[in-house]
Amino acid sequence: MRRNLSLLRKFLRIQIRSQLQYPASFVMEVISNAIILGFFFIAFALTMTQFGEIGGWSVGEVAFLWGMAEFSFGVMDMIFSGFDYDVFGPMVIKGTFDQLLLRPVNITLQVLGSRLVLRRLGKISEGLIIFIIGLSQVDVQWTFGRVIYLPILVISQILFFGSLFIIGATTTFWTKERLEILNVFTYGGSEIMSYPMHIFPRAIRLLFTFVVPAIFLSYFPMTYILDKTVQLNAPSFVPFLAPIIALSLFWLSLKFWHYGIRNYQSSGS
Amino acid sequence: MEPIIKVNELKKDYKVYKDHKGYLGALRNLFDREYALVHAVDEINFSIYPGELVGYIGPNGAGKSTTIKMLTGLLVPTSGQVVVDGFIPWKDRQSYVKDIGVVFGQRTTLWWDLPVRDSFDLLKDIYEIPPKKFQQNLGLFREILDLDHFMDTPVRALSLGQRMRADLCAALLHEPKLVFLDEPTIGLDVVAKQRIRDFIKFSNTELGTTVLLTTHDSSDVARLCRRVMVIDHGKILYDGGFDELIKSFGGNRILFVEFAEFYQNPVLENATIAQRDGLNVTYTFKRADVSASNLIHQLSEKYRIRDLEVRDQPIEDTIREIYEDQLLYNQTYEQENTPS
Repeated sequence: MRRNLSLLRKFLRIQIRSQLQYPASFVMEVISNAIILGFFFIAFALTMTQFGEIGGWSVGEVAFLWGMAEFSFGVMDMIFSGFDYDVFGPMVIKGTFDQLLLRPVNITLQVLGSRLVLRRLGKISEGLIIFIIGLSQVDVQWTFGRVIYLPILVISQILFFGSLFIIGATTTFWTKERLEILNVFTYGGSEIMSYPMHIFPRAIRLLFTFVVPAIFLSYFPMTYILDKTVQLNAPSFVPFLAPIIALSLFWLSLKFWHYGIRNYQSSGS
Repeated sequence: MEPIIKVNELKKDYKVYKDHKGYLGALRNLFDREYALVHAVDEINFSIYPGELVGYIGPNGAGKSTTIKMLTGLLVPTSGQVVVDGFIPWKDRQSYVKDIGVVFGQRTTLWWDLPVRDSFDLLKDIYEIPPKKFQQNLGLFREILDLDHFMDTPVRALSLGQRMRADLCAALLHEPKLVFLDEPTIGLDVVAKQRIRDFIKFSNTELGTTVLLTTHDSSDVARLCRRVMVIDHGKILYDGGFDELIKSFGGNRILFVEFAEFYQNPVLENATIAQRDGLNVTYTFKRADVSASNLIHQLSEKYRIRDLEVRDQPIEDTIREIYEDQLLYNQTYEQENTPS
């Protein structure tokens, strides 16, 4: 374990070092990234202030929701960069993945260490800023339970998005290319988690409840933290399922990943 | 002695899908795909013993790479057994790869953005090489492979020959018992090839590494390997001494003659004129049909000559003929798996 962690640290240091070879361009990229993403929210907030609220949620509350989803996805996208199937797919096709298999180190650790996209700091900081704006706007009584549940929720969201990435990466063992439809769940999931979910049509809601359980990671727990009434038919314990669902999905995604590795067949010559 | 590699009835089939054409065909492809079964490796048997340096040759698509991938654990065979150093490669991958080295000529195991030196340092940690052993090996390999002037260059900036030398060094730093070299000289110039060959020779004779060498270049094999296995269409057609292979099939020899005067048709029994250019005539003949001394005797009796030279056909040509004319198919060979 200690050896693995020290190796992971070394792998990640290489990634950071090679991305920081041109520090000025790196900083510019992060900033422009954050600005572009920020504009999306500003445009949205401007529209919303005309209406004052969305489905009974104030601009501040939506900012809170949006900021957290954005932040979690950004953190995940950075940590799990190696599992991004836009990166992992080509690795499988080009045979780089074979090279990893030929080293006496845990393969999951190697994929995790194969990439760390620092540019994601743009999305992360943008999410954080919007979250803090939201935090300052919402009128919530910060009980002990709410304060504790907040970081648990962030970690759950990160694990949730991470599971989707791992599942996406695993499918490339068979497809050898990215499946466009998976974007619906990963990027679509993060998008949908940025809004109070009862505003969406029933079909979409069901998809993100039973196929991809995104609703348990944002809308339900947020109703507890922001002290909103659940406007969907759901038992009163649903806000607290987030960590259980996230951990189960993460566990399942790792099972699937290991199944994929065991059945992996190197391609080409 | 126990073999270090034992391969038994090893088989790998690939499904090659045929696509239906057109829009409807694309839809049909989703549900119903016809495929042909290709036997990439077709029930082969061989054993390799510790300390051997074996050449594994065959034309493109013969099954060489598929075999290497099964031996290194990257592919699971359709049927048959492989035991390498007590491991089943695709089952015990992580512990198995500790004691082997692999070089794929077309790819690199090094870190693209890192200087060569840093890649080696990482491998030291990955293979847990004791510092003293690491320093010692690196010092030795640097010299033989002449790595010194690009140790601080990032891998992406290396020439193919430099990269290959660095890769070879990387594969042997942890002193593996066994190395698989898949096309290590592909695309290299003569000088780079020679360095690589020297190093392979060195690792085999001085370090006692067992080497399985896949190559297109039969001169690699001629210079390095006593034993050679020839594979084609997934079957091993020959497994034995390289010299014997060349002797049985490299029957063709070449006789260059410079005549002292011009002859209209300077025929020799059992030899054919391949080329003539004034006084210079090139004959080809088969070792089995006639001896060189007999031809020289004929020459000196019938003609006045100035100079002559007898040569064996280049090995590359012999190997090519073996593939192209499928010479090995016409012979029955006893495939012995015992070392000589």
